[in-house]
Amino acid sequence: MLRYTLRRIVLLIPVLVGLSLLVFTISHLLPGDPVKLAAGPQATQADIDSLARELGMDKPLPVQYWNYATGLVRGDWGQSVLTRRPVWDDLKVFLPATLELVFAALAFAVIVGIPAGLLSGVYANRWPDYLSRVVSLGAISMPRFFLGLILQLVFAMALGWLPLGGRFPIIDEPPPALTGFLTIDALAAGQFGAFWVALQHLAMPAIAMSLSPLATITRMMRASTIEVLQQDYVLTERALGLSQKLIVFKYVLKNAMTSSLTVIGLYVGWLLGGTVLVETVFDWPGIGLYATKAIVSQDFMPVMGVTLAIGTIFILSNLVVDLLYGLLNPKVRYE
Amino acid sequence: MDRRNLLTVAAAAALGVSLAASAGIAPAAAQARKVLVVASNQDVPNLDPHVATGYSASAFMRNLYDSLVRVEGNPVKVVPHLAQSWTVSPDGMEYTFKLDPGAKFTDGSPVDANAVVYSFQRLLRLNKGNSWMVAGTLDQSSVSAADAQTVKIKLVKPFAAFLQVLPWLWVVNPKEVEANKGADDAQAWLAKNVAGSGAFKLKRYEPGTLYEFEKVAAPWKSGGGNLTGAIWRIIRETSNQRLALQRGEAHIAVDLTAEDMDQLKDKPGVVSIIEPEFRTFSMKMNTEYGPLADINLRKAISYAFNYKAMEESSSYQQLMVGPLPNGIFGHDPNLAVPRMDLDKAKEFLAKSKYPNGGVKLTFVHVSGLEQVRRFGLVLLDSLKKLNIDLDIKAMVWPDMVASTASPDKVADFFTVYQTGNYGDPDNIAFAAYHSSRNGNWQNPVYKSKVVDDLIMKGRAEPDEAKRKEIYLQFQKQVVEDAPDIFGVLEKRKLALRSDVSGLVFTPVASNAIEFFPLSLK
Amino acid sequence: MSAVAGNIPSSAAAARLQNWRRGLYRFRQSWLSVVGLAIVVLLLVAAIAGPWLVPYPEHVAGGINTGARFKPPSAQHWFGTNELGQDVLSLVVAGSRVSLLAGLAVVTLAAIVGTVVGAVAGYVGRWVDEALMRFTDLMLTLPSLILAMAVAAALGPGIANMVFAIVLSWWPGFARLVRGEVMARKEEVYVQAARALGASAPRILFRHILPNIVSPIIVKASLDMGFAILTVASLGFVGIGVKPPTPEWGVLLSLARGYLPDYWWTAIFPGCAIFLAVFAFNLLGDGLRDVLDPRARR
Repeated sequence: MLRYTLRRIVLLIPVLVGLSLLVFTISHLLPGDPVKLAAGPQATQADIDSLARELGMDKPLPVQYWNYATGLVRGDWGQSVLTRRPVWDDLKVFLPATLELVFAALAFAVIVGIPAGLLSGVYANRWPDYLSRVVSLGAISMPRFFLGLILQLVFAMALGWLPLGGRFPIIDEPPPALTGFLTIDALAAGQFGAFWVALQHLAMPAIAMSLSPLATITRMMRASTIEVLQQDYVLTERALGLSQKLIVFKYVLKNAMTSSLTVIGLYVGWLLGGTVLVETVFDWPGIGLYATKAIVSQDFMPVMGVTLAIGTIFILSNLVVDLLYGLLNPKVRYE
Repeated sequence: MDRRNLLTVAAAAALGVSLAASAGIAPAAAQARKVLVVASNQDVPNLDPHVATGYSASAFMRNLYDSLVRVEGNPVKVVPHLAQSWTVSPDGMEYTFKLDPGAKFTDGSPVDANAVVYSFQRLLRLNKGNSWMVAGTLDQSSVSAADAQTVKIKLVKPFAAFLQVLPWLWVVNPKEVEANKGADDAQAWLAKNVAGSGAFKLKRYEPGTLYEFEKVAAPWKSGGGNLTGAIWRIIRETSNQRLALQRGEAHIAVDLTAEDMDQLKDKPGVVSIIEPEFRTFSMKMNTEYGPLADINLRKAISYAFNYKAMEESSSYQQLMVGPLPNGIFGHDPNLAVPRMDLDKAKEFLAKSKYPNGGVKLTFVHVSGLEQVRRFGLVLLDSLKKLNIDLDIKAMVWPDMVASTASPDKVADFFTVYQTGNYGDPDNIAFAAYHSSRNGNWQNPVYKSKVVDDLIMKGRAEPDEAKRKEIYLQFQKQVVEDAPDIFGVLEKRKLALRSDVSGLVFTPVASNAIEFFPLSLK
Repeated sequence: MSAVAGNIPSSAAAARLQNWRRGLYRFRQSWLSVVGLAIVVLLLVAAIAGPWLVPYPEHVAGGINTGARFKPPSAQHWFGTNELGQDVLSLVVAGSRVSLLAGLAVVTLAAIVGTVVGAVAGYVGRWVDEALMRFTDLMLTLPSLILAMAVAAALGPGIANMVFAIVLSWWPGFARLVRGEVMARKEEVYVQAARALGASAPRILFRHILPNIVSPIIVKASLDMGFAILTVASLGFVGIGVKPPTPEWGVLLSLARGYLPDYWWTAIFPGCAIFLAVFAFNLLGDGLRDVLDPRARR
């Protein structure tokens, strides 16, 4: 197990190098001249040339890539040409906000999806199943940004129960930064009022984000429940007189763990890249909004930074899920 | 203070508050602080007062820095600020300013004549930001210190509206700037740090999200409102700005659309300000390159355009009559300008090189500007009647500006909003029609010797009646040349909570909110 | 998780029960697919004939009526009018053209690129397979929406640019699917027979293997169609997409955001159109999977 883990970690290195090379290549294949953009509208050709020298963008591409890649390792992820701020500093501010949103969405998906899938499976082809399947199909087809707008329309504009957007009321001081997750930081500081406020801000965007994982978890739980109920040993035990409820709980809940884990692993990276629209709708200050703004103004470094960060987290989360699988399910062989 | 320090301070402040009010958000603490929240969609990427442009930057500078004079009231008056008083020589070429001896930078050092000289020289040296306002009027030796409290400014060329541009030229603290000069004249340092004498300083710095201001312990200016701080909050969607205002999460919203204003009508606790301002919109035609170099085609389009639809496409705007903003000194309300008349349009089209239309023209606008997108669709609909196609393109602002470098890169229709920095016809006339501004977004291509001469005569003419006559001639000539489709004058649309007091509307840069005079109940 | 198929029912009663349930399941499944198919047909009709069917065809081409802005739904304008007085119903119906066309183009191109890459990797094997698949995996780690947004924004507006940008992040899914299928088939008897008869590699691939794996490709394509439409709308929503005055659902919805809550009809109808289109293609895709690729069914 240890050897396997180590091997997997060593194998990460070429993957991450490949990822950075890919991102670098794509961004340099696209039209648009970042130096010209950075130099500003009044710049002369001489200004542009000297800025290119200053930013190291006059060097051959392999040299530029080498500088970029070694910079990444040192924590120098380049600079936004428009704001002149280091991308790494921005990521440190915006990434926790997005991660908090993603984890809240996954938590919501697991909490609602497991019981929904379970009911669906147990009452397969009766009305609870019917309902949950139509809802989950609908959920998968629902554009997140449209659901976000509807939620805003109902809960913020019409009823006024929840804040329209943002992460925390701006007049108030946020809880002291610890993890960057406002809800956790508030609890850690014992500020229950702040926790409640942060949760209220989190509710709508998290629900809007949770649609796809929710539908997937429900489907998986339904399928595995039906499967378990049809297994030989279940039928045997039923014959032996164990009540159906006990059977369901015994075998199915074990499956719940693995399927949630699979979904979380599948979705962490995917959701990270998918928060863009929800962050736009809810004015949520995360990397999605950051990337959108950079894309619209063709500011490449932040876009590369966000892409790399998401790609890396995607790769890492896959690894963690694989390893956890092994812990939960010793039958899985490591080759 | 660099960015890291800013953050540390912010964190320390946050910690302090949370220790004081460990129960979470204490209403008592919030009430003792009077923090005004302004909702804006414009970020401030650069804090250098001699580099930054845009209304959000103007707002920041107004609060963090001071200028010799400031503007106030409606109609606009120029009133003392760092300068207590001033005199002008009879020929209008030399100004003498007496500085307020009490004026201090936030580090305690006095704002003296040397600081003013230093600041003007830096502005002119960098040749960025607002320096265009005095380009050709001042040079490196124009500004000098007669003594510690007296500044003399000698103009290189006469400029009737000189006092009116001064409110936008900021004074920096030479001591701090010199200490951080680096190789780039402290541009990198001032981009993120403040060295001013304003009544506010920057406290929290979260780019793209919010900027928090805190009143300095003892501002040198007297009076003012009861604010202890202010927050510039970035809310990109105007509808979200409107809703934040309705819910009391923001006190002032500055980027509202006509639809937002309509929806705010009669909402409790909200006060709307809808006032005329010298903010023009026009569609500049490429008079030098492409099909629109043909004056008959330009005129045909000017007569085919559906002005009524443009006016109706959004509330709170009026059609412009000619190149100058309605109501400004010298404007001719009876000027004969084109209005929709298809027969006339077809007459001109027949005289042009494209008697049957059949061309495709491009229309560019800054992406995200909803109103201009609508104007583009109005134009598209109008041009169909001449059998002309229109390609509407949204571009980022830097790309649009870059396209003005040479006439062949400029789109057929280049759309521009121009906000008056000073309430004088020279502002629009010079910036938007003088050929020296060619290759610049305000006037990419149009050039006319006759018009240039009129503008320069108007700029230098001291006699009001003669000056007015010159601008009347100017307007006639521009309409004759048809370089633009003269668009609309947009009213300024602001909305604020009724518990904000002290806001007096001023029709120049009114969205660059000045915090000092404001109070919160 | 083991496959359901292959279990031996322990009693006749259970078997009967299971069959009965499966029958019901299939019935309902197909019933939903029929609904999906019906909506898809309607969308196709709207996409093809939309500009002639709608009540205000001139608005589809960019015509405006500024005298009738923001009229609520009525007999005259079923879905109300927008900020320029255009009929929302006409725009929404005509908007199906861009969405369907772009969605179809994305899926088709992605399927072609993915099939070529996957087939070559799977058939040639060795280092070619290794290189192509590592590259495919890397592409899969990139956040697809952000990649599509960045590329589309850099290329400028227009349907073709938008489609290209989306395809860039869409083909790897097909490549993986096809590679797996090709690997599975290439040792089968009929392939070995063809090889023994001296058929060239391309001939074996295209004449013998590909025709046998068309079903899973079509199933994936139909399942992807809904998401492709969603992605197109997403790009429109963030302001990167078609040129005006082409009506597009995502653009309509993003413009309408500014008019909520008072002028809700400008947002609700385009939003519902996106939902309905994606929903219909998902239903249809599920149905097609049952018919064409029963093994994949859960």
